[in-house]
Order: sequence, then structure tokens, then C-alpha cells
Amino acid sequence: MSGSEAALNNYLIVGALLFTLGLVGFLARRNLIVMFLCAELMLQGVSLTLVAFSAFHGTWGGQVLAIFSLALAAAEAGIALALFVVLFKRAGSLDVSIWQDLREADQPPIIDDTAGDEEQPEKQWPHLTRSGVLPPQPQPKPGHPHKELPEPVGAAPAQTAGGSDGR
Amino acid sequence: MDFNQILAAGSPSLLSWGLSSLRAGLEQPHSGAILRAMVILVLGAAGVYLMLPRGPISGRPWPRYLGGALATLALVLLITMPIPAPASVPPLENAGKTMIWPIDDLSKEDQPAVTCYTFHFLAFVSLASAVMMITSRNPVYSALWFAMVLLSNSGLFLLQKAEFLSAATVIVYAGAIVVTFLFVIMLAQPSGAARYDHHSREPLLVSLTGLLLASVLVGTLHYSARFEDRGAGATITRRPTSDLIAQVDKKSGGFQQIGREDSQHVSGLGKTLFVDHVVSVEVIGLLLLAAVVGAVLIAGHKVDGGVIRKT
Repeated sequence: MSGSEAALNNYLIVGALLFTLGLVGFLARRNLIVMFLCAELMLQGVSLTLVAFSAFHGTWGGQVLAIFSLALAAAEAGIALALFVVLFKRAGSLDVSIWQDLREADQPPIIDDTAGDEEQPEKQWPHLTRSGVLPPQPQPKPGHPHKELPEPVGAAPAQTAGGSDGR
Repeated sequence: MDFNQILAAGSPSLLSWGLSSLRAGLEQPHSGAILRAMVILVLGAAGVYLMLPRGPISGRPWPRYLGGALATLALVLLITMPIPAPASVPPLENAGKTMIWPIDDLSKEDQPAVTCYTFHFLAFVSLASAVMMITSRNPVYSALWFAMVLLSNSGLFLLQKAEFLSAATVIVYAGAIVVTFLFVIMLAQPSGAARYDHHSREPLLVSLTGLLLASVLVGTLHYSARFEDRGAGATITRRPTSDLIAQVDKKSGGFQQIGREDSQHVSGLGKTLFVDHVVSVEVIGLLLLAAVVGAVLIAGHKVDGGVIRKT
């Protein structure tokens, strides 16, 4: 019933594909956290395979090994995430390419070829609806009636600072 | 034909060699299954290649949509195609069993159809979430898709009568590890969209590598020994390795076997874990303790101007 060969093959295929997807993500992505998540995905594929073999053979060995890998993944995640926090504090970025100074001495450095098309994400200020009563402005200038709030919200503190300077 | 001769003869000969070898391969008994599997894997690899982040998302969204469509098509083909066994099957390679590919039609087995459909659904959700996880630009979305993978995997564990592992996966992985990941992402995510999240490293080569690995794994599964000597529902009797185990076994009457109809599932697992593998349990507990101490020690240092200082 449970130990049928077709069922075993199905689970093995799903486990193998999960492992492959984890490998693809680990190689392709550059964020440290996403790379580590992909390693965990590979562990999940292996766990699925172990449990499938355990169910097929009718023994506990595969499940025991999967439980150990679960505990190992927890320990690994703790250490790695602590390292990521420290690395982010030092470099301000989670890019793995920053830490390529740690490579072997005779390895050529990886040239980041995507540095040219660095995108500038357009700033999107939040649109705040006007509500409530305007606070009393200290000295409204004749050119700037205080009904008209400035368009970008980010520029508002600078203008009020200018107004207090003019007073 | 020697490979050097082919290379010396040039590309037309290489092409004819490839065609002849392809024709020879198609005459193999399981060529249809292999061809279908290769079509599915190539579709999936192309989909993942198109879905991997390459540049800002505002530029061209259509490769991502096309890749998503291709990957979904590959997954649907993989999951929902029950294929009857080919007529001419060598009797040595599958002894009296119909070979079905890629995902075997479990309704032919003697288990309820609900299990079969649940397996198909959970496998689809697991693989689709894995694809979305490795192609999401936002690490938060990656972590959430990984939680989805974990939930469907725990469902798959449950289908295989691994109840404790299923619960432990949900509690430990999805409850603790993914949440810790989310905490670290919130702590260590630079403001705005990071450039390294929008550019994957060598998507084409990586997809080809994944295609190669998946082909090798699936082909190995297909061509390997079909596990015929252990029939359905086989139980393995284990020998007691010490007097302690012998005592335990005396109480339960003989060697420990898990029949699948055993209702005392967790107790049997606990007995195995804490009798046979008790040293390993202690070692893994020590390892967890060391990991906690190490994590506190590593993350507790204050970084001041690029120099790590002890607090």
C-alpha cells in the first residue's frame, strides 16, 4: 500500500526537482539571505527523498535522518543569520560579491558587469489627504499663502525651516 | 564512430551523428518516456531562465510572464499526465509492473484516489512555490514562498505517514526558521530595491546547469534498479544491537517493525530515536547549544565604523 514503487518514484522525482531548483537559486541569486533560503530548499528536497525511502522500506531510518537534518538546518540558520547581520552592519549590503576578497589567493576576481545599468527607482511620495485644521503658521509670507501645501512631502520641512529663518 | 573523427569531419557529420544517435535513442523501449521527460525539463528550465530577475521590473515584464507560463505548463505536464506503459517493455527491467511516466498514476494502485489527488496537488504547489521562491525579487516574498514550500512538503510527509516529521516541519521550519529569516530581512534590508536582487548571476548558464542536474537525477531514477526485491509493504526486521534494545524488544514482543497499519506511530519513532540513535540525539542537542552560543557571540558584537568591537 504505502511501499508501492510508483509512489516512491513520484516522491523521489519531486525531491530531485526541489533539490535542482534550490541549486539553481543558489547559483543565480546574489542576495545572501536568498542564497541561504535556496540551500534550505535543497535540504527540503533531500528530506522528502529520505522520508520516501523510509515509507517505502517500512523502517524509521529515513525519518530519523530527516529529523536530524531538521535540527541541523535550525543550527545552521542561527549561525548564518547572525553572520549575515554582522556582514550587513559592516558593508551595508547583502550582495555576496562584496565579500569576494575572501576568495583564494590565485582566483581571479569576479567583475560585476551589471554595475553600468544601475537603476534609480523613482521616488514615490505618499499622497496625504488634507484633513483637520492647519496648525497656526508663524508668519505667512505674501508669496506663499499657507493654504497651498508644497507638492512633495519631503520638501515640507525645508520650507518651514526657511520660514523660521526668515522670521 | 570516434568522436575525434566527428570533430575532424566538421559540423555536417556532427549533425548527422547527432540525428542518427537520436534515432537510435528513439528506438529504445522507453524513449517516449525519456523524450517526454526531456521536453518537460527543457520547458521548465526555459521558464526558470525567463523568470530569473534580469534588470529592473519596470523595463520589460513580458519575459517574466512568458517564463511563468512555460514553467506552469511544464509543471502541469509533469503532474497531470498519466501515460500508459509502452507496449514493448523488456521484462527484465520492469518485472510485471507497468511503467508510467512522469508522475505515475497512483489511482491504479490500491490506495484511495484522494491520496493520489492530494499528492498531485501538493507536489504542484511545492514545485510552483519553489520556482516562485527562487525567482522573486523581493527577499520577503522569497521567504514567504519558502514557507509555502514547507507547508506543502509537510503535507507530503503526512501522506507518507510521517506525522511527527510533518508537524516538526511546520513548527520548526515554518514557525521558527522562516520567521527568523523574516526578522533578519527586516533588520538587514537596505532601503529601497537593492540592485543585486534585480540582477541574477549568469541566468543562462545556471539554467543549463539546473537542466543538466535535473536530467541526470531523473534519468538515474528512471534507469536505476527498480527496487524490486522489496515488495510493497515490506518490513525489515532489525537485529538488536545491545541488551537495552533486546529488553525493549522483549517488551514489545520481537523485533521492532513498523507495519504501516501501526497506530502507535510516534511512540515507535521515539523508541527508535531514543534507543538506537540516542548518542546522535545527544550530539545534535550539543550542536544546537553550540550554535545558539555561537550565534549570540557573533551577532552580539557591536560594529562601529566597519570595525568589529567587543561590547
